Amino acid sequence: MKTVVCIKQVLQLGDEVEFTDDGLDVDPDYLDPALNEWDSFATEEALQLRERLGGEVVLVTCGSKASEAALRRCLAMGADRAIRIEGVARDPFSVARALAEVVSAENADLVLCGVQSSDAVQAATGTALAELLDLPCAAVVTKVDYDAGARTAVVDRELEGGLVDRVEIDTPAVLTIQTGINEPRYANLRAIKQAEQVEIDVRNAAGGGAPAYRVRKMFVPDRGEGAEMIDGSPAEIAARIASIVKERLV
Amino acid sequence: MPRDPKHDILFEPIKIGPKVMKNRFYQVPHCNGFGSEKPFSQAYFRALKAEGGFAGVSTEYCSISPESDDTHRMSARIWDDGDIKNLSLMCDMLHEHDALAACELWYGGPHAPNMESRCVARGPSQIPSDFEFLTYAIEADKDDIRYLQNLYVAAAKRARTAGFDIVYVYGSHSYLPQQFLTPYYNHRTDEYGGSFENRARFWRETIEMVKEAVGDDCAICVRMSTDMFMGEAGTQLKRDCLPFVELCDDLVDVWDINLSGIAEWGEDATPSRFYPQGRALPWQAAVKAISKKPVLGVGRWTNPDLMAEAINDGKLDIIATCRPSTSDPFLPKKIDEGRLDDIRECIGCNVCISRWEIGGPPLICTQNATAGEEYRRGWHPERFTKAKNADNDVLVVGAGPAGMECAMILGKRGMRRVHLVEEQDDMGGTMRWIPQLPGLGEWARIVNYRKIQIDKLKNVEFIPNTKLSAKDVAEYGAEIVIVATGSYWSTDGLNGASHATIEGADASLAWQATPDQIMGEGKELAGDSVVVFDNDGYYTGVSMAEKLALEGKKVTLMTPLGTIAPYMHFTLEAPNQHRTLHRLGVEIVPYHLPSRVEEGVVVATHVYDEEGHEKSFAADGVVWVAQRRSNEALFRELKDSIGLDQLKAEGVDSLYRIGDCEAPRLTADAVFSGHRLAREIDSADPSLPLPFKRERRMVDDASVASEKAEYAALYAEASLS
Amino acid sequence: MSVLVVAEHLRGQIRDVTRELVTAGRELGPVTVAVIGQDPGSLVDAANIDGVAEIVTVTIGAGEFENDAYQAAVEALIADRKPRVTLLGFTVNSMGYGPAAAVKLGLGFASDVHGIALEGDAVVATRSFYGSKVNAELEFPGADGVMLLLRPTVWAPAEGRGSASVSSLEVAAPASRARHRELVEASTSSDVDITQADFLLSIGRGIGDKENVEMFKELAEKMGATLSVSRPLVDAGWMPSSRQVGQSGKTVKPSVYLAFGISGAVQHLAGMKASGTIIAVNTDPEAAIFNVAQYGVKADLFDVAEELEKLY
Repeated sequence: MKTVVCIKQVLQLGDEVEFTDDGLDVDPDYLDPALNEWDSFATEEALQLRERLGGEVVLVTCGSKASEAALRRCLAMGADRAIRIEGVARDPFSVARALAEVVSAENADLVLCGVQSSDAVQAATGTALAELLDLPCAAVVTKVDYDAGARTAVVDRELEGGLVDRVEIDTPAVLTIQTGINEPRYANLRAIKQAEQVEIDVRNAAGGGAPAYRVRKMFVPDRGEGAEMIDGSPAEIAARIASIVKERLV
Repeated sequence: MPRDPKHDILFEPIKIGPKVMKNRFYQVPHCNGFGSEKPFSQAYFRALKAEGGFAGVSTEYCSISPESDDTHRMSARIWDDGDIKNLSLMCDMLHEHDALAACELWYGGPHAPNMESRCVARGPSQIPSDFEFLTYAIEADKDDIRYLQNLYVAAAKRARTAGFDIVYVYGSHSYLPQQFLTPYYNHRTDEYGGSFENRARFWRETIEMVKEAVGDDCAICVRMSTDMFMGEAGTQLKRDCLPFVELCDDLVDVWDINLSGIAEWGEDATPSRFYPQGRALPWQAAVKAISKKPVLGVGRWTNPDLMAEAINDGKLDIIATCRPSTSDPFLPKKIDEGRLDDIRECIGCNVCISRWEIGGPPLICTQNATAGEEYRRGWHPERFTKAKNADNDVLVVGAGPAGMECAMILGKRGMRRVHLVEEQDDMGGTMRWIPQLPGLGEWARIVNYRKIQIDKLKNVEFIPNTKLSAKDVAEYGAEIVIVATGSYWSTDGLNGASHATIEGADASLAWQATPDQIMGEGKELAGDSVVVFDNDGYYTGVSMAEKLALEGKKVTLMTPLGTIAPYMHFTLEAPNQHRTLHRLGVEIVPYHLPSRVEEGVVVATHVYDEEGHEKSFAADGVVWVAQRRSNEALFRELKDSIGLDQLKAEGVDSLYRIGDCEAPRLTADAVFSGHRLAREIDSADPSLPLPFKRERRMVDDASVASEKAEYAALYAEASLS
Repeated sequence: MSVLVVAEHLRGQIRDVTRELVTAGRELGPVTVAVIGQDPGSLVDAANIDGVAEIVTVTIGAGEFENDAYQAAVEALIADRKPRVTLLGFTVNSMGYGPAAAVKLGLGFASDVHGIALEGDAVVATRSFYGSKVNAELEFPGADGVMLLLRPTVWAPAEGRGSASVSSLEVAAPASRARHRELVEASTSSDVDITQADFLLSIGRGIGDKENVEMFKELAEKMGATLSVSRPLVDAGWMPSSRQVGQSGKTVKPSVYLAFGISGAVQHLAGMKASGTIIAVNTDPEAAIFNVAQYGVKADLFDVAEELEKLY
């Protein structure tokens, strides 16, 4: 069986921030790259499927050369090969289109993406990719039950509040994987060193298609935009707290 | 990161007499074991704090005369020109960082045993010391009193010559001037004893004389204990201390305010086990309320919010620290730079103090392995040279204190990749459960600090939930392997008193346990009574006893030693620990060694009973705090079964071990061993510590010749009789 | 400017996020609420909220949410009603089909949106980036329509009864490729792993004495929350470090983080600021935690806690 895992090298912002001259993004000097946390779970899920069912795990990412570090982390975990697509805008639709070109050619049994990336938190790329591949999609998956060559898989989706929606999905399919689905394996230094030597397949995006959005301004929010203060008597306050809690958990 | 504006007050300068302190951070007098006779160690140790932002740094207690010789304990000395010269190095180096240098002029009176000088001290009354054995002083007459006061004046002048900016007339916790003030020490009936005015007279006159001698050039500081907690016999806040402050306020430039007497000075240098930070604040505030001069005081301060609050609330003017300045000499700078999570917080274990109490060794610090090593090993806590062999990957097996420290320092030294692999789900090793013992919550800072630092290091990766076999280690892909697998408590009663196991001892049985099992694995002992056998000598036995007593068990704490937890005497925790155990009804049985244990009973003999009569102690459960053993298995398998040659074939160039898995030791020493290996990872043979500098007089031909000539001249006229 | 709101429901109940979408939509233009379900008629009443102009029901075969059915329904609704803005909640279900519909129809798209503005005809959405540390204003030039997934609890839920007209739309239902089988209750996770809890009640130094821990423990139990703590309580030995939230403790991301007496030291905030909804109760108006909380209460902790306990 073949599993394609779409990963992202995210950019993490520390406590200090400066913006680029055009004010549209954070100055790269203030950003540290890392493998998107969700993608290590997705990669691990793919590796476990390969262990059970044989086959191949293929990684795909959209990013500059620096993002090869993220690919190599997943290669060190045990993935078989990696493809990097250059020259892609960062919004979810541009990324999904670029991924779709490459992933469709792989004819995978399952395509795994992380639910979201920690830097953009759009939770959109995987689902958009499914549409472009014309494949069924299940989002926020916490369990995958799949047999090689089967026509369907049974997956659990984690709803708000922890309730689980069990879904039977036709395969091939795109699944967006939630953290906690498994325990990503560590890569020892030998594997990391070996992964350094792997040749990564670099492609260029064909381009085209409108992005999902355009950033017109990026800024640090006013500290004053802090909490909405709840006033009133303790009883009134308690009632409001209780209703907020109920709202967010159900 | 910018400084939190809430902390701005800590960086406002303040005038002290003729001097100005550039901020509110001050290192109050504390011992380091270096004195005047290890001048480089002394100067480098103190100057580091100035580099770290402390605006004022003091010597430890500084003897003003050979009559005040505290050997075996190490004090500084300012007896002669040689001392002036040696201490001037400290002053110069402090001045390079715009910090003020302070000298705590000390005369011990009846507390100083004078074991090196063989002089005799003078004191207010001839009653032996409550702190030292076999120590009596001359009961001072008027001439002695003038003589003593002139000792202070002469010493103050020497201090000024050396370059000190602040000179103390030091009385806490019960040294000479405070002895005159305190009825416990002063039974005189002349004008230097009796009423408050009389008892205060010696101290006040001495301050006047010192001020007259050096007051234009140096700030005069008086350090006093506000209350000795000894009732009417000791110094009391309202009866003695506050009137004294009123009496001398116009003479004094800055007050250094303490608590307690000397016999239980842990009430001042509070262990975290018993007191939170800022314990002395109410007393310090009482002085501040009536004084027009700046007031400084210690409190094991680590939280800048509380520091700022103390000043803003008008309780203190200057935040004084000893232990937190040792665990992190860069405390002020880190607060200034808003780098609060880089602060290596004091845990209040008092291991630093224990070295002084033992007498002789330089201080060490559980949190800061570089404390005391500034000169002799050239270690700087915030500077790390890039390792010459940085182009290597390192595997550290075990994330206890030694492993964490080693991985962290290797990361800071730029090793290419460091993997810190741990079988549990988080860092800490035994230091995960030790802080759960009663009172030891702050010890978790050992782990907290390193976790945060390691998280920041991009070249260090922490891998939990992973138990590596020897094969896994060999194949890991690291060129350098460091084993840090810690130690465990012996399960068979093996102990240092008998050097034998104990018949029936088997912690795998349900009714027996070791601390690891109870704290780390959650093993519970059934029944109401438990015997804790303790031959460790430090806190584990008493802490287990306390914990089990708090859980409602009837606890018997048995030890072959004459007293339980002798090391806790050196950490100043013993008196309160004894009180706690007494309050909890723990039965303490010293001088007893179990000869055998059976379910329900521990049979023991008195160690000095030559006939070995057996005594039975009812026990539903037994806890073995007998001795620790290294977790050697992994290292032995790597070295013996696989072998260094085979490891080399796999790419492992070097194999080391650190911390308890090499030999069980204090946490401070485990952290040190990890630190040392990391600092010396690029030396010729990192398994052997590099020689450290020893400050000692070296013999050379010229000095040999002149010494011999002087000796010969001395006896030229005197033949053997 | 017309607005299409897609109602979200579970087990026969309209979810509150739907009401929030109505509040947001009302500010932009006439709101049409789409109720998609097996028996949408039974939900019409609850969907008839003040400010809703019309309700359109779409009947689907599945008893609960299914991606394909919702996607087909929403695409048909957009084709039919041509809304300028389609609003979904940023929820697990929306994640499964919203982006798919948007990319297919060439809509502008953004999720986790917490601010919407209209500039003439143009929609400007505000969302966060980089772990919520910065905000960005997004525009959608050239797009005929825009789909936004709104962050729950940002807009207040619309109250009151509306007088919406009700109609239905027939949608040719393709066979669902992902079929809902059953809902399974969450397994009760071990109570010591605070990182797995969806609702944390967290206490800090402000609670005063060790004796007060018990009262908050009980409150947490009654509210169905897991108790967590900030560092000072672990240092003091009142709670084990397994309960500690913070840089040196655990990093948590529960849906709700209710904090009592926690001032918000940098290290603590680092461990919880990614939480869904943070409610902070503290007597200190300057407490840093108010900077990351969505809701703040400056009142006596014990008074509030006492009142809360009465409600559970």
